[in-house]
Amino acid sequence: MATTAKKKDVVIVGLGWTGAIVGMELCEEGLEVLALERGDDRDTIPDFRYPNIADELKYGVRYAAMQKPRNSTLTIRRTIEETALPYRSLGSFLPGDGVGGAGVCWSGNSFRPMAEELRLRSYVVENFGQGIIPEGMTIQDWGVTYSELEPYFDRFEKVAGIAGKAGNINGKIVEDGNPFEAPRSGEYPMPPLPQTVDALMFAKAARSIGHHPYPLPSANASQTYTNPYGMQRGPCNFCGFCDRFGCFNYSKSSPQTCILDALKRKPNFEYRANSEVLRVELSPDRKTATGVTYLTAEGEEIIQPADLVILAAYQLHNVHLMLLSSIGKSYDPVSGEGVTGKNYAYQMTGGTSLFFKGIDFNPFVGAGSNGTVIDDFAINRIDFGAQGFIGGSYICAGTTNGQPIRSMRLPKGTHSWGGQWKQAIKEWYGHSMSIGSHGSNMSYSDSYMDLDPTYTDRYGRPLLRMTFNWKPNDIRMTQFMKNQIEPIAKSMNPDIMDSDYKSDGAMYDVRPYQTTHNVGGAIMGTDPNTSALNRYLQSWDVHNVFVMGANAFPQNIQYNPTGTVGALAYWSVAAIRKHYLPRPRPLI
Amino acid sequence: MKTLLVAVLALVVLGLIAIAPIVLVPVAKTSAQQLVASDFTQDGGKSEYLVRLADCAPCHTAEGRKPFAGGLAIPSPFGTIWSTNITPDRETGIGSYTLDDFRAVLYDGLRKDGAHLYPAMPYENYRKISENDVRALYHYFMNKVEPVSSPVRQTQLSFPFNQRWGIRAWNWFALNEARFKPRYNDLVLDRGAYIVETLGHCGACHSPRKFFLAQDGTDATAQGFLTGGEIDGWPVPSLRGPASAATKWSAEELRAFLATGRNNHSGVTGEMTPVVQDSLQYLTGKDLDAIVAYLRHISYAAEQPPARIDDRSKRTIALLNSADPSMDLGPRLYLDNCNGCHFTNGKGARGVFPELDGNPIVVARQSGGLIDVILKGARMPSTESRPMRLAMPAFGQRLSDKEIADLATFLRQSWSNNAGPVDKTAVAVRRQKLASH
Amino acid sequence: MPLEQYQPQFFTADEWAFILAATARLIPSKGDGPGAIEARVPVFIDLQLADDFGKGADWYMQGPHDPNAPPQLGYQSPLRPAEAYRAGIAKLNDWCRAKHGGPFVELSPEEQNDILTALEKHEIALASTPAANFFDLLLQSNKEGYFADPMYGGNYKMAAWVHIDFPGARASFREWVGVDKPYPLGPVSITGERA
Repeated sequence: MATTAKKKDVVIVGLGWTGAIVGMELCEEGLEVLALERGDDRDTIPDFRYPNIADELKYGVRYAAMQKPRNSTLTIRRTIEETALPYRSLGSFLPGDGVGGAGVCWSGNSFRPMAEELRLRSYVVENFGQGIIPEGMTIQDWGVTYSELEPYFDRFEKVAGIAGKAGNINGKIVEDGNPFEAPRSGEYPMPPLPQTVDALMFAKAARSIGHHPYPLPSANASQTYTNPYGMQRGPCNFCGFCDRFGCFNYSKSSPQTCILDALKRKPNFEYRANSEVLRVELSPDRKTATGVTYLTAEGEEIIQPADLVILAAYQLHNVHLMLLSSIGKSYDPVSGEGVTGKNYAYQMTGGTSLFFKGIDFNPFVGAGSNGTVIDDFAINRIDFGAQGFIGGSYICAGTTNGQPIRSMRLPKGTHSWGGQWKQAIKEWYGHSMSIGSHGSNMSYSDSYMDLDPTYTDRYGRPLLRMTFNWKPNDIRMTQFMKNQIEPIAKSMNPDIMDSDYKSDGAMYDVRPYQTTHNVGGAIMGTDPNTSALNRYLQSWDVHNVFVMGANAFPQNIQYNPTGTVGALAYWSVAAIRKHYLPRPRPLI
Repeated sequence: MKTLLVAVLALVVLGLIAIAPIVLVPVAKTSAQQLVASDFTQDGGKSEYLVRLADCAPCHTAEGRKPFAGGLAIPSPFGTIWSTNITPDRETGIGSYTLDDFRAVLYDGLRKDGAHLYPAMPYENYRKISENDVRALYHYFMNKVEPVSSPVRQTQLSFPFNQRWGIRAWNWFALNEARFKPRYNDLVLDRGAYIVETLGHCGACHSPRKFFLAQDGTDATAQGFLTGGEIDGWPVPSLRGPASAATKWSAEELRAFLATGRNNHSGVTGEMTPVVQDSLQYLTGKDLDAIVAYLRHISYAAEQPPARIDDRSKRTIALLNSADPSMDLGPRLYLDNCNGCHFTNGKGARGVFPELDGNPIVVARQSGGLIDVILKGARMPSTESRPMRLAMPAFGQRLSDKEIADLATFLRQSWSNNAGPVDKTAVAVRRQKLASH
Repeated sequence: MPLEQYQPQFFTADEWAFILAATARLIPSKGDGPGAIEARVPVFIDLQLADDFGKGADWYMQGPHDPNAPPQLGYQSPLRPAEAYRAGIAKLNDWCRAKHGGPFVELSPEEQNDILTALEKHEIALASTPAANFFDLLLQSNKEGYFADPMYGGNYKMAAWVHIDFPGARASFREWVGVDKPYPLGPVSITGERA
C-alpha cells in the first residue's frame, strides 16, 4: 500500500550533475525541492578518502563507484533481428551510481561542441547537399544554437571550474588555444594543467607538421579555485586514480566539489538517497505529471506529488522512466513514428599506441583529464562530400593513469601470459603512450531504445532494450582518423607502433570499455513528431516534465558530453525560471 | 573548556583556608552596571545576533536535543559536567529566572538557587557585557526560545570537586571588575574590544592561565591577555604579538578565517571549529572588521613582510622533490601520506589545504593538536560564503605510533619550522585518549 | 603465513592443487620478478571467489541464459564466477585425464603450457561452460592477483609493483608531471606497507 507524501513544488529524479544544478537554481526561486537518488549518499570524506580510494581492484576493475547490473541494467542487441541479451556485468559503458552520479567518477574532459554540431543536419544540407546523408541516417538539428547556449556553457564552466586555454574569444583567435572552436565570451576560469611527457611530445609533433595543439579542457583543477557558489577545489596532484574513482583531493569537479554542500544548506532543499523512482505519475488527460512513485530503502512505496518533475537520471534511465511512464509515444523503427527511444547513439573511438624504449613516461603520473588535443580533423574542418562520411573527431594524447591491471599497454603479438608476458611488462610498462581519436557517432533509424519483452528488473519492470551497431559512415570516419594519426605518430619515431581502429564489418562489442557517452533516446528538437523534448528540454506531451542529460542529443557530438549536458541544464532551468514558473504551460 | 576544571583543584587549598567565611556569608549578586530605561526593548533580530556573538549554542545544545536544552557531556578527569537547560521552561530550564537572576549567571556564575556554576561557564568574560546586551539576551531566552521540558543530568563530580561553595573562593581571587570600559576613543577599536573581551569570550581559551588557572587578564591592558593557551593538549594560538596570526596575516586573511574558517594559510580545527560554525560566520561585516582592527591594534607589532624561502626550506623541498629512496622515514611518510594536498613546499593550497610551514599547530610546544589531526583528520565547518565542508581524512589506521612520531617530527623540523621532536609514547597517549572518547 | 600453510576458503584440495599449478604456468617463477606463486596469486583468487566477486554479487543473473550467445554480447553463462571456476577446473581435469592420463597438476610444465594455450585458442571445448569464459576468468584473476593491492592477498610484499616500477597507492605526483626520467621511489600500499 503506497503512502502519499506531502506535495513538493519540484521533485528531481537523480542527484548527479543535472539534478544538483536544477536543485540549486530552483531553490533560488524559493521552491520546495526534493531530490530522489536511488544510490547511496556519498561525500568526498569518507567515501573517496585517501588512501582507501587508491584501490585499482575495487574501483578500477570491480567498479565500486558504478551502478550494479544486479540493481539496474538493460538488454542489448546489434540488429532488430537479434535477440537482446542482458548487460550482465559492466564493460562497454559504466553508468554512475549514488549521489553525484557519474559526475563523481568521470575523467573530466569538459568540452563545448562546435556550433556546426548543434545544427548538424542544416549544416550538412547547406554545405554538402541533402544527397550525402545516407539512407537510414536520422541526424537532426538540436533546436538551440551555440550562441544561445554560450552563456550557459560559460556558467557551467565557472561552476565546474574548468582549466583550459581559449582559442577564440568573441571571434578573436588566441594563440595556444583551439582556433577552430566556436567563439567564447571569455577565457577559461583556470589556466591549463601542466602536461605529462606524452602530451608534450604529441604537442611538439603535431605543431611541427602544421596542426594546432591546445590543452585538453579539464575538470581537474590546475590551482586553487572558488566557484560562484563559494565551493572550493584544490590543485590536482596527478594522483593517477581519477576516471572510475571519486577524487580524494577536492580537485576534480563533481557535484560534491562544486554544488552539493552549498545546496544542502538551502532550507527548501531536501534529498533522499536509496530512493528509487519507479514511474512518473500522469494526470488522467496525460498532459501533466502529478508526481512520482518511489521506493524507499526499506521497500516502502511512496507517492510523491509535485508540480514539476525533473528527470535528471543518467541517459539510459531517463529514457527508461519515460518509456515506463508512457511519456511521449514510443519510437517504432519500422514506421519511423514515435519519439521516445529514438536516435540512440554512442561514441566512435580508436587509437594508436607508440612504444619508446628510451623514454620514461611514468604513467602513474596522471590526471583523468590531462593532455594535448588537436581539432584539425574536427567536424567543421572536414569536407564531408569529398571524404564520404559525416562526422569528425578530436585527437588527443595524455595520461590518465598507470594502473597495472587495466592499463598495461603491450606491443601487439606479446603473449598475454607466461614468461614472455612477465618480461614484457617490465620492459614496456612506463615506456609507451597513445594517441586517441574521440569521434562523433551519427544517429540511425534502427539505433534506438524500447522496453525488453523478456527480461525484467528486480521490481518486475521490463528492462530497457538497446538496439545499436556500428555503421559504415562512422567506420569510414574512424579510418580517416587513423590515416591522420599514424603520420603524426610516425614522425615521433617510436620503436613500435600499433593501431586499433574499427574497420569494415565491425560489430558492437559490449565487453571492452569504450566510453560512458550514451546519448539520445529522448532527444530535443523543433518538431514534436521527430523529437521527445522541445528546445527547453520540456516534454512536448507532458509539459511539467523536463528531462536533463545526454538523452537530449539528437546524435553524438565528437566531444565528451558533460560540458554540453551541464550547459543544457542551465539553459533549461533558466527557461523554467523565466518562462515556465510564471505561467506553467508548453513553452512552444 | 574541560581543562578549566583543573581550576577546581585550587579550591581544595583555598577552601581549607577560607572555609568558614565562605560558608557563612551570603553571596551578593553583582547589579546592573549601566542605567537603562525601564521600557528598554530590543529590536527584531538584535537579540538573536547577540546570542550568536556570545556563542551559547554549542555548549548548551547536545546532539539530538532541542536548541539550548543543554545536556552536552563534557568529560573531565573528575567526572562528567553536563551543560544546563537554558530554555525558558520553568521547571527544568531558566523560565523562573528574573532579569537579576539571569544577570547573576552571566556576571557571577551564580545559579538562581545560589549555587556556584563551574567556571566552564565564562562569567569571567561575560561579567563585562553591557546592561543593554544582558537584557537583550534575557529577552531572547525568555521569548524567542521554545521552552523544552527536559531535565539535564546533574553534574556529579567526586569529592572535593563537588563542593561548589569552594568556587566562591576562586571567584574572589579570579574575577575582575564588572563593566566594560572603552579605552581607545575609537568606535571601531572599542567595538572590537567589547566583542572580543566580553560576549565573544575569546580569552577563555586564548589567554594563558595564571595562578589557580584564572585567565591572565580579561582585557588588553593585561600583558598576557590573548597570548595563547592550551586545551586538552592542543595549543591555542596566541592572538597578539609578532608570531601571531594577527600580525602574520593580512586583515583580509584574518577576516576570512573568522568568517569562513579558512584562508590562504590555514583551516580551522579543534575547539575553534564550532566557534566559526555557530558564532563567527554570522557576524556582520562591521563587527568582523572591528574584531580584526582590534586584534591587529593590540599586537604591538608592525605587519611583517612575507617570509622568504630560506636554505632549510629549500633543502626540504629538494629532498621531497627528489623522491630519493634513501631518504629517512619522516620525509618518506610525508610523500606517502601528506604530499597530495600539502605539497613539497609545505604550503598547501590557498584557502583549501592549510600550510604546514609555519603552522602554529604544527610547531607549537604542545604536539597534541598535530598528533590528533593526523590520527583522526579534521573537517572545516560549512559557512555561508564558503559552504564546503573540506576535510582531511584520518591516518590513525594507516600509521603506527612510531610512524606518526617520525612524521610529526619531520613536519616540526622541516621548511622554516624548528620545533622539538615528537616521541612515540606521546602518540600512544593521544591515540588512547581519542579511543576512549 | 607461508603459502604452504594457507588454508583455502573456497577451493577444495584438488582445486587448490590445480590453481597452484595453473597460476605457476600463467606467471612462471623463472626470470625477473615474482611468479604467481611468489606473489601469492592463488591466495588472492581463493579469497575473491569466496567473496562477492565469486558470488557474482553485482551481476544481473536472471535467466533465460542463451547458451549460443555471441561473445560480443558479454558474459551470458548462468554460472557465477565461483561456479564457473569450479566447473571449469573439473571439466579441464576430466579432459586432461582423458587425453593425458592424469589431472592437470600431474602433467609436465610443457604439457600444461600446451593445454593452457589450446584453452586460450578455444581448441579445447569444455562442456557446460564456455571454454573462453573459463580461461579469460583465470587469466584475468591472475593479473588482478598479481597487481592488486596486497591487502587482497596477492602481490605479496608488492613485488609485482616493484617489478614494473609502479609506486602503488602513493597517489601524489604533482612534482613529476612532464619529467622524463625514472621515478625512483618504491611503492606504498593502502595499508602503508613500504618497499
